[in-house]
Amino acid sequence: MKKTLIAAAMLGASTSAMAVAPGGPGCGWGNMLFEGQSGMPMHLLATLVNGTTGNATFGMTTGTNGCDTSGALTYSGQSLLGMTGVMEEVAQDMATGEGEALTALSVSMGIEASDRAHFNTVMHENFAAIFPHQDVTAKQVMASINDVMKKDQNLSKYTV
Amino acid sequence: MRTGLLCVLLCWAAVSVAVTPPRPDVSMDALAASDRWQALLHINPGATLRDRHRSYVDDDNFFLSETGKEDPLAELLATHEALQLPGAQARCRFPARYRFLAQSLGWEQAGAFDHCAQYREWRAAVTASRAVLVFPAAYLNSPSSMFGHTLLRLDQGEDSAVWLSWAVNFGAVSTAQDNSFFYIYRGLAGGYPGRFALVPYVQKIQEYSHMENRDMWEYTLDLDQQELDWLIEHLWELKDINFDYYFFDENCSFRLLELVEVARPGSQLLTELRFAEVPVNTVRALDERGIISERHYRPSKAVELNNLREQLNGNQQALARRLADDPSLLTSDAFMAESASDRAIMASVAYRYLRLKYRKEERTDAVAKDSFALLTAMNQLPPVAVPETLDPEPPEKGHGTQMLAISGGQREGNQDFGELSYRLTYHDLLDNPYGFLRGAEIEGLDLTLRSTESGDAKLEDLQVVSIRSLAPRNRFIQPLSWYVDGGLERAWAGRRRLVRYLQGGAGGSWQWGNWQPYLLTSLRMENNSEFDTFVTPGAGLDAGILYRRGRWQWQAGSVGHYFTNDFYRYTSQLAVQWAVTRQHGVRASLEREGWRGDGDNEFKLQWRWYFD
Repeated sequence: MKKTLIAAAMLGASTSAMAVAPGGPGCGWGNMLFEGQSGMPMHLLATLVNGTTGNATFGMTTGTNGCDTSGALTYSGQSLLGMTGVMEEVAQDMATGEGEALTALSVSMGIEASDRAHFNTVMHENFAAIFPHQDVTAKQVMASINDVMKKDQNLSKYTV
Repeated sequence: MRTGLLCVLLCWAAVSVAVTPPRPDVSMDALAASDRWQALLHINPGATLRDRHRSYVDDDNFFLSETGKEDPLAELLATHEALQLPGAQARCRFPARYRFLAQSLGWEQAGAFDHCAQYREWRAAVTASRAVLVFPAAYLNSPSSMFGHTLLRLDQGEDSAVWLSWAVNFGAVSTAQDNSFFYIYRGLAGGYPGRFALVPYVQKIQEYSHMENRDMWEYTLDLDQQELDWLIEHLWELKDINFDYYFFDENCSFRLLELVEVARPGSQLLTELRFAEVPVNTVRALDERGIISERHYRPSKAVELNNLREQLNGNQQALARRLADDPSLLTSDAFMAESASDRAIMASVAYRYLRLKYRKEERTDAVAKDSFALLTAMNQLPPVAVPETLDPEPPEKGHGTQMLAISGGQREGNQDFGELSYRLTYHDLLDNPYGFLRGAEIEGLDLTLRSTESGDAKLEDLQVVSIRSLAPRNRFIQPLSWYVDGGLERAWAGRRRLVRYLQGGAGGSWQWGNWQPYLLTSLRMENNSEFDTFVTPGAGLDAGILYRRGRWQWQAGSVGHYFTNDFYRYTSQLAVQWAVTRQHGVRASLEREGWRGDGDNEFKLQWRWYFD
């Protein structure tokens, strides 16, 4: 009851905490599918003042945190797929064959507007190959996506 | 002042010819007083009482002159001196100011920032062709969210890829440890600095839509590329710069208006005095000035789940719920008997429910395995589109934040009275519902004066704060309904007198079509001069039912407490409000206040007028 009374609202703590897997490397490449966003205490105050705790990144591409940026656009020093919670959304969109997360991924990979519908279909059909089990990491998923794209004549030109 | 100006001019003339001399017809006074310079310095034009005609920025790093905070001309001159030479380091900190001086005085713009590697790198990453004001709406069970929030989204142009946009957010910088009420007070009263942060918009979607189950309203701003460039360049100037943060007036929404003023000076967004800036006021202010061109509704995950769930009948919903607990039912006869499209919806509902429930928790193998099983099933079944919410109600179309009311009534069949009420903020269970969450009430400073035939106007009621959250429970979610209420009111104890009280409680609520019953326990602390002890506690129940149809809102309910001194009191009420127009409502109520052996009846008719 106390939890609910003190606002059942979660504000991500610092933005860097949102981006980093607990104990993992700087980019979240080691995040597994369905990574929970736990460990972020509920703050009435944080919700009240809509604030950020700690250092806000302010959109800087740090590039110095050792992220492996191959295959996807760097975005604040980190690829979209490695961000906590994004992989789950991408997985859901791939399962059904469309969605905002999937479109964002395709845009971040430089796929042209004319090829995106095809990208979505190919991802949907190869869902089982890209997400073979629940313990896949972002890095593995990225690699599998690239493998699938290489085998497709329209999409192979976008692979790294 | 003029001697100083002359000196500066002479200094310019004396310096190397690489410096472009200012055009002699441009007056520094006029520039310092111009809308854009005032906006760049965040000078208060009279919008709030604090810091009038001074800069809102509370950080020495922002000013090049010692008197910069109070004196825009001094700051302009200091800026002019610091930025004029090619290769000046100050240019890298103040690109928008450079652009201002360059445009006003004819300075060279090409290659002006060649030596600013960090700024150029940032500017290449942060580009935008469109700015969108995002309003995460209120969320039941979170009182602090009931006023909403506003942030700015900078889109790079791909309509379908807003996940890759930047979000500009102004908020207080607190530390993770601050959670006690003392720190909350600090947050309300300017104890924390406020800063602008620039984060990937996808993080905000996660926070608001996914984690907090808040709908998001996205309003496209009608700013052209030049205006956007001003905004972005100025944003760099605000990096790590402290403002004061005041919850009521100088908050997230207010600062965003300042940013829009930089993009389009002279918008008159900050000229009216205000005591509070509620986020919805910001949306209205921009809308009234024609700065909003489009509106888009993004439902929360909870709303999406609800929309999907309602496509299933009762049995199917029960099956979907069981499926979430045990995905092996995917192969059961009951499940397989359904059509492929129904199975797809059930699997999707089960999956979404499971993720909604566990998204905030530590990852466990069991839940991951179950989630994956359902996701795989979704992949093998036909795709399911989430039905759109019909006619979502934009929050800026709701009634005004303040309220005045007059009423007339009769107590005990013979005591006529008239009342005048004022409420600072915001919305109760019967107020015109359009644009507001059902079952949510938040009121602050609600004052009522009552005048009877026999005497002058007396204080009838002063509600300091009242928050009520009646969140309906169903098979999929079981939120707690609760309330807290405190202030002064007239209550019977020997005779009708003014008492001070604080009460609250928790329980449950349900939604059956247009009916919403609720049942809460209630605890009351009363300070009453009739009672022996300073504070007398009482316990009881608060139960009732709401009914809503079109412009009519009904409430029937009863709240009663049994006190430790063997005294008990209850109030039963039947009330109805008719929303005449968006900003006017008529409320009728019949109330009985009862105690051991007797009671009083009261009837009242009230006209309520809402305004901002």
